[in-house]
Amino acid sequence: MPASHTVAVLLDDALLTLNRAVGVLRRRNVPIECLALKPSGTAGVSELTFVLKADAATAGRVVQQIHKIIGVRDVVLVATEDSTTEVQP
Amino acid sequence: MTETLTGAQILCRTLLEAGVDVIFGYPGGAIMPFYHALGDHARLRHILVRHEQAAAHAADGYARASGRVGVCVATSGPGATNLVTGLATAHMDSSPVVAITGQVPRAMIGRDAFQETDIVGITLPITKRNYLVQDVAELAGVVREALAVAQEGRPGPVLIDVPKDVQNQKTAYTPGPMAGGSLRAKKTQSLREPPVTGPGVTPSLEDGVREAARLIAAAERPLLMVGHGVIIGNAYTEVRALAEKTGIPVITTLLGISAFPDGHPLFLGMPGMHGEVRVNRAIQHADLIVGIGLRFDDRVTGNTAGFAPRARIVHIDLDRAEIGKNVPVAVGIVGDARDVTRRLAAQVQPRTCERWLDEIREFTRPRAVAFRGDLAPETILASLYQATEGRCTIVTDVGQHQMWVAKLYPYREPNSHITSGGLGTMGFAVPAAMGVHLARPAETVWAISGDGGFQMNMAEIATMVQERLPVKMAIFNNGYLGMVRQWQQFFHSKRYSCTPIWSPDYVKLAEAYGIPGWRVKEAAELADVLAQANDHAGPALVELVIEQEANVYPMIPPGGSLSEPIETAPAAAGD
Repeated sequence: MPASHTVAVLLDDALLTLNRAVGVLRRRNVPIECLALKPSGTAGVSELTFVLKADAATAGRVVQQIHKIIGVRDVVLVATEDSTTEVQP
Repeated sequence: MTETLTGAQILCRTLLEAGVDVIFGYPGGAIMPFYHALGDHARLRHILVRHEQAAAHAADGYARASGRVGVCVATSGPGATNLVTGLATAHMDSSPVVAITGQVPRAMIGRDAFQETDIVGITLPITKRNYLVQDVAELAGVVREALAVAQEGRPGPVLIDVPKDVQNQKTAYTPGPMAGGSLRAKKTQSLREPPVTGPGVTPSLEDGVREAARLIAAAERPLLMVGHGVIIGNAYTEVRALAEKTGIPVITTLLGISAFPDGHPLFLGMPGMHGEVRVNRAIQHADLIVGIGLRFDDRVTGNTAGFAPRARIVHIDLDRAEIGKNVPVAVGIVGDARDVTRRLAAQVQPRTCERWLDEIREFTRPRAVAFRGDLAPETILASLYQATEGRCTIVTDVGQHQMWVAKLYPYREPNSHITSGGLGTMGFAVPAAMGVHLARPAETVWAISGDGGFQMNMAEIATMVQERLPVKMAIFNNGYLGMVRQWQQFFHSKRYSCTPIWSPDYVKLAEAYGIPGWRVKEAAELADVLAQANDHAGPALVELVIEQEANVYPMIPPGGSLSEPIETAPAAAGD
C-alpha cells in the first residue's frame, strides 16, 4: 500500500552528495511529494527532508540506499502518512 | 618534509605513497601534465592500453586478483566516457578501482569546450564516490580519500576528475597518511538515537550470530550459500570451518566460485539460471539458507516469489542495504564475512547433515549429452585443467563459455576464477586478464572468451605484446553470439536475428601480432596445443572451434522459478 513517508537526511553540504541522494530517488523513480534543503545548524552539514509516496518496503530500501552514500551522516524515516507518531526503527 | 609540487606531480606521489605500482591508461590533451610528471616516476609502471575501456577492466582485474586498488587513467571527454563500462562493471562486482581523468581547464568547464564532458555527472550512479578537484590544495587529500573509499567497507570504484590547469597548479606538498576510518566516523552524527537498522537486520551482532546458530542447530536441510564477499573478505578458512563443523553443504554463486574447494565432499556447485539441477533443487527443498557475502540477485534466485519456499534465510553481508533487498530474511547480520563467519563457526554446535546430503544426492541427474562432435566444453576444460595442473587464474568473459567454465572447471585455489558477474560485460576477459597478470606475475593467467566477446577487446593483444604481458587466450568459437542465440532458440521461435557472427582467421591474427596461435577442431589435438600455449613464455592464443548450436543446460527461464529447469532444446516447429 503506497503511503506518504517523510525521510530526513543529514548530509555534507556538497552538491555532489545532494545529487547522489536525490539520484537514489531518481533511479528508482520514487514519486516525491515535497523536498526541502536547509542548513542543519552544524557548519558544513545540510538537512534534506522529503516526502515520498511508496510502500513501506520501498521506503525502507530508499533509506538504506541513501544511508550508504559517503557524505550522508544519517537517514531517518521520520513519519508515515500524516501520523505524528515516529516510526520505530 | 614540505615541497612545492604541481598537481600532476602530486597525483604521482600520492599514488606511489599509497603503494600503487602499476596504472593502466591512455594519454590525451587534458591529462598531459600528468603524463609529463609520470616521466619522473619510473616506479609507477604505466600500461598503455588500446582503448580506455580496457584500462578500466585491467584495473578491475588487478584489483580483484590482488585485493588492492587498481588504478586507471584517461583524458577528458571520450577518454573518460570510454571508462564508463569498466567502472560500472567494477561497481556491480564491488571491485576497488580508482579512475583518474583529465578535465578541461576550470575556466572552460560548462562551456562545451573541446573534449569536455561531465564525467562526474555521468559516473554518479556507478561510483562509490567521485570528485571534481577545483583546487590543487585539495588534491592530495582527495587522492588519499579516494584510495581509502575504494577499498574500505564494500569495495567499489571512485573517480577523480582533475582539470588540466589544476594539474599544472603548484602547491605545498607534505607526504601524509592515508585516509580511512575517518569516513565512517562521520556517520556518528545522528538526527536522533538509535540509528536506523534495515528491514530484517538484527540489532546486535551477538544476537544475530546466536540466532543464526540456533537456526542452524534446528535445521534439517540447511545450505551455505557463499558469494563474492567471502573472496573479498578472505573468509575461506572460516567458511570451510563452519561447513565442516556443521556438515552443511556449500553452494557458491558465480562470483563466489573458488571460495570453497571444488571436490570437497560438501561442495555442491553453482545455483541459479544455469545452476545444476541438484543445486537448485537443494535450494527449493532447504529449510535454512545461510547466505554469506552475496546479493541474492535475480540470476541466483530466479523469480523470488518461488525462491527457496521452505527456507528461512540468514543473510550475512557487509552492506546493510543488501539485507532484505531481494529476499526476506529471518536473520540479517551486517558485518565482515570473515569476522561474522568466525563467530558463527565458534558458536554453532557440531553436527552432521548426512540424511540431507543423501537426499541431495538423489537430486543428481546425469547431465544430458548436449554436444555433437568431440570438442565438448567438458573435454576442453578437463584438458585445460590438465595443462595448467589447476595452477592458474581463469578470467572469463560473458555468455555460454562463462557458464561452462563456471560449472566445469574444477577450481581449487581461492580467488582463481574472475569474471564479470553483475554487469555481465562482454569484452571483459582479455583486458581484465592483463591486470590479473600484473597482480600475480608468477602465475599463469588464461582469458577465456567467446568469439563475440573476444572481438570486442581483441585490440588489447597489442598491449600484451608491447607491455610483455604473457596472457593465454582461449576463444570458444561457435560462430554465434551463443547465449543470445540460445535464448532465440528457446524463447524467440528460433529466429536467429543478428546473432551469427563472422570471425577473422584467429591464427593469422595471432601471427599479425607476432604471437603463437592455434586452431583446435578435434579433441585429440587439445592436450598438446593447450600445453604448448600454457608453457609459452609470452601471450598465446587458442581458437576452439566448437559446435555451433550447443546450449548451456540446465536453464531456468528468465523470471522462472528454480523448480522449472529447461534441460533440452524445445522441439522445432513442425516436429
